[in-house]
Amino acid sequence: MKKKFLSLLLVGVMSTSLLAGCGSSKTNEASNTGDTNEGQVATTEDTSKKNPVTIKTVSMFGGTDPNAVVYEAVNEEFAKEYDYITIEDNSQSSDEDWKASVAADFAVGNEPDVIQFFTDATANTILATDKFVTLDEIRAEYPEYAQDTMDSALDAVTNPDGVKRAVPTTGYWEGLYCNKDLFDKYGVALPTDWDSFVTAINAFKENGIIPIACSLNNVPHYWVEYLMLYASGSENYTSVPDKAPAEWVKGLETFKTLRDMGAFPEDTDTVDDAYIGQLFRDKKAAMQLDGSWFAGGVTDTENTVVIAFPGIEEQKAEAGAMVGGISSGFYITKKAWEDPDKRDAAVKFVEAHTCKSAVQRYWEAGGAISKAAVQVDAIDGMTNLAYSALEYTNAATSINAPTDSRLGQEPYAIITSNIVKISTGAVSVEDVLNEALSLYAQRNE
Amino acid sequence: MLYKRKWPLLLFIVPGLLFMFVFLYIPFVENIKNSFFDMTAIIEMPGTKWKFIGLENYKKLFVDQDVKTAIFNSMKMMVLTVVFEVGIAFVLAVMVSQIKKLQQVFRTVYFFPVVISATAIGLLFKLFYNYDGGMLNQILEHFGKDAINWLSPELAFIMVCIPTLWSYIGFYFVILLTGLSDISDDIYEAASIDGCGHFKQVFHITLPLMKPVFFTCVTLALTGALKVFDLPWVMVPNGAPQGVTHFLGTYMYQVTFGLSNFDYGSTLAFLIVILGIVISRLVGLFTKEKEEGR
Amino acid sequence: MVTKRNKKIKPSRVIIYTVLILWAITTIFPFVWVIINSFKPSSEVLTSSFSLPKAFSGDNYITAFSRLNVLNAYKNSLLISCSVTAGVMVLSALMSFGLTRYQFKGKKMIQSLIIASLMFPVFSTIIPVFRMIVSWGLLNKNIAVILPQIAGNLSFATVVVTGFMQNVPIEMEEAAYMEGANVFQVFGRIIVPLCKPSLSTVAIFSFLWSYNDLFVQNIMIRDNTKFPISTLLQQISSLYGTDFGLMAASVAIIIIPVVIVYIFLQKNIVKGLTAGAIKG
Repeated sequence: MKKKFLSLLLVGVMSTSLLAGCGSSKTNEASNTGDTNEGQVATTEDTSKKNPVTIKTVSMFGGTDPNAVVYEAVNEEFAKEYDYITIEDNSQSSDEDWKASVAADFAVGNEPDVIQFFTDATANTILATDKFVTLDEIRAEYPEYAQDTMDSALDAVTNPDGVKRAVPTTGYWEGLYCNKDLFDKYGVALPTDWDSFVTAINAFKENGIIPIACSLNNVPHYWVEYLMLYASGSENYTSVPDKAPAEWVKGLETFKTLRDMGAFPEDTDTVDDAYIGQLFRDKKAAMQLDGSWFAGGVTDTENTVVIAFPGIEEQKAEAGAMVGGISSGFYITKKAWEDPDKRDAAVKFVEAHTCKSAVQRYWEAGGAISKAAVQVDAIDGMTNLAYSALEYTNAATSINAPTDSRLGQEPYAIITSNIVKISTGAVSVEDVLNEALSLYAQRNE
Repeated sequence: MLYKRKWPLLLFIVPGLLFMFVFLYIPFVENIKNSFFDMTAIIEMPGTKWKFIGLENYKKLFVDQDVKTAIFNSMKMMVLTVVFEVGIAFVLAVMVSQIKKLQQVFRTVYFFPVVISATAIGLLFKLFYNYDGGMLNQILEHFGKDAINWLSPELAFIMVCIPTLWSYIGFYFVILLTGLSDISDDIYEAASIDGCGHFKQVFHITLPLMKPVFFTCVTLALTGALKVFDLPWVMVPNGAPQGVTHFLGTYMYQVTFGLSNFDYGSTLAFLIVILGIVISRLVGLFTKEKEEGR
Repeated sequence: MVTKRNKKIKPSRVIIYTVLILWAITTIFPFVWVIINSFKPSSEVLTSSFSLPKAFSGDNYITAFSRLNVLNAYKNSLLISCSVTAGVMVLSALMSFGLTRYQFKGKKMIQSLIIASLMFPVFSTIIPVFRMIVSWGLLNKNIAVILPQIAGNLSFATVVVTGFMQNVPIEMEEAAYMEGANVFQVFGRIIVPLCKPSLSTVAIFSFLWSYNDLFVQNIMIRDNTKFPISTLLQQISSLYGTDFGLMAASVAIIIIPVVIVYIFLQKNIVKGLTAGAIKG
């Protein structure tokens, strides 16, 4: 019933993660966290005299997301450090009905004090209520707020209206996961362009291996993004036109080409995304396009690698163009800001989660392969997978935010929900794109 | 006499009515209102105004291919529930009424699937149908046959109907069986003496006498079919494969919570209720006519 | 209860038993399959789901109980379903009493409203109901599930109980009245005890439907510490959907209590359901 969603940072895949040695220095970190927080407000010495305060917090670090463990650990340490602050946390992996309920909370004045949420067009509904404090306002009172966070990361989470409000932890990228052992076994080279990609697909097909693990019915989002990006090039891809551009159309029409080649599983129209991940992990499928969060569930980290999207026919994008970014962060609401006790507690809370040591932990929990919002320290003993991810991201020629970050939820859903029909040729790509774009136009008049 | 004074009546019916009004009728009216606006969230956000879009959503109803599939499938499901659920239940009930041993066991066992949540049954059948290592394909594999995609566009509708129909047969079975046991044995005895065979008895005695029970079953089956949701949603979300298994309920859910198109979802909700009322009216008319004609 | 016409010869009897037993197998098999597979690791489910487990292992149950707060979920489910059951019983008995014993203007109208509410699938009202619940600040509380579920089951319950109550002869009530009992005493001491079969049917179905109704629970309870049991199943299937052994164990965890409740109460189901439904 719940639909998993691509653009989330966080839909955790499986509980196993390839992290190494996270939390080895928990006690140290806790005290570090304290130091960073206390700098500007000289309250460390008399915390006992503080009024007891309860803050309501909400985050998307829930479920099996590897971040959830870190999030809860930081909260626990925070509660110990500040015994006068009680945290009432309500975190959950994000999905459509969850977003609807968060929006409803904001509408009726039931919003939390701190929320970790999207910063792109997904947040527009909530931003419309004007219930967040801006970064400038906070920094006017707390000059050292978010001091560890890199400016580029803060820029990345600027809201669509051009105002900075959120403080991020880590970002994400999307890439092509390959079972390298299967490629070796059948003597296929890792694809680098459309032709070698087609060769690989055909080779696997002949050998009874599913070339691409993907559920067109459930999560076609990654393919939507890359096909459109490579067909149209960064600039066209990241603009929102009035009418369906020919390049976008061409990109999405590739779904049909791939389907006709037999690149997707037999049951791609019905299978769940969870099964898809399993096909790939069980070596029944050779390639899977997915986000950096998928790495956490990969069990064979020695023979699995991430590579750049190979490309499509007559592509306009430069090789190495990547989809990714940072698109969520911690916000403080005006409700908390206007209450002096809560204001202080909320600021401390956000700092506890976004300071260098906390982000380091989030980054490591995610397999040390995503993009961190602070300067992180490299870790030892990288797996092949993590190493290939590092190479991949370092070689990226451009980093592009996905389409839903511009279109917003509802218009984007029109596209993704029609992918199965596009892949069979039952609907025209142009009609689908035009419907989505006209809804976007109607909303943004 | 006892019921001359009317004031206690308020205490009896007002609480229940209040519940129905607050949770059924007010929402129904609100849905109608919502269907005329472009809802950007479930609630109108402070500081924003929903745009009035008039009959846009209703126009969309007429061109939306998926709505057609959903209505068509829901109608098909109604026919199937009446024919198969009530039909099979009747056959089983007649059979059970003929025997003595194990009657109680059959009653208990046939009702099992009704007791269990549709979600659990859905998950179960998903494991059966699964292409990669599902139960059915394991059987095929065992006999050296190729795996079949049980949820391919050609098969999916049937494969979804099977558990949906199967799971509620026990419900009608129990109603029909008790109906059968209410028919006096003397009638059958008399018929036997007149030389009326077993088979004929079913048609000439049982069926006519069971008419009212049948109408109850048919009404429940039809409205039940219109409400079908959990099972198909768990097995084939989003009308998978290729939109061939949309039902009114699942499509409405997908539009509302999958696509965040709340206003169109409200329009569909309105459509579903209207269809339900029309159908129950039709059945009601039909039933009355029959009863009067008796 | 049973028709006694044993004059037929054996062969037809054999066919009847064969058919009945075959059908019984279809209704039992899935549950046996679930139970058997809940003791296997996932890989074994995939390769040999028919054979008995190579080694009975309770690992799946241990995992389910350790990863998820199953006991707490049972508690929440019981709380919700019992409240719904109680609410539906009381309200439907009151309503039916009012409708069968009193003559008043607008009665026809109320009756058709009740019949019409049978046509309201729960998902058709969920958006406005969700909005109300949120604006009353009840989200994530058990009451957020209880109220809509009572409303959703009430019309079916009223139809069943009204059908039954209509056939309860009025003479006893008149007699009680002559002896000085008031309406409420009549209701409490005569009507309710007489209507027990239909009320217990209503109780059983309200309980089952409330316990099994994933939809409302899923929408109203978002806080995973407050999940009722079906929501927990949903969560398991979305998080661990490919761990088939664990899935089978979770399904078993959910269905075992209802099957037990059902086996204990099944006699009442038959009595009440038929009495109410046939006449209604």
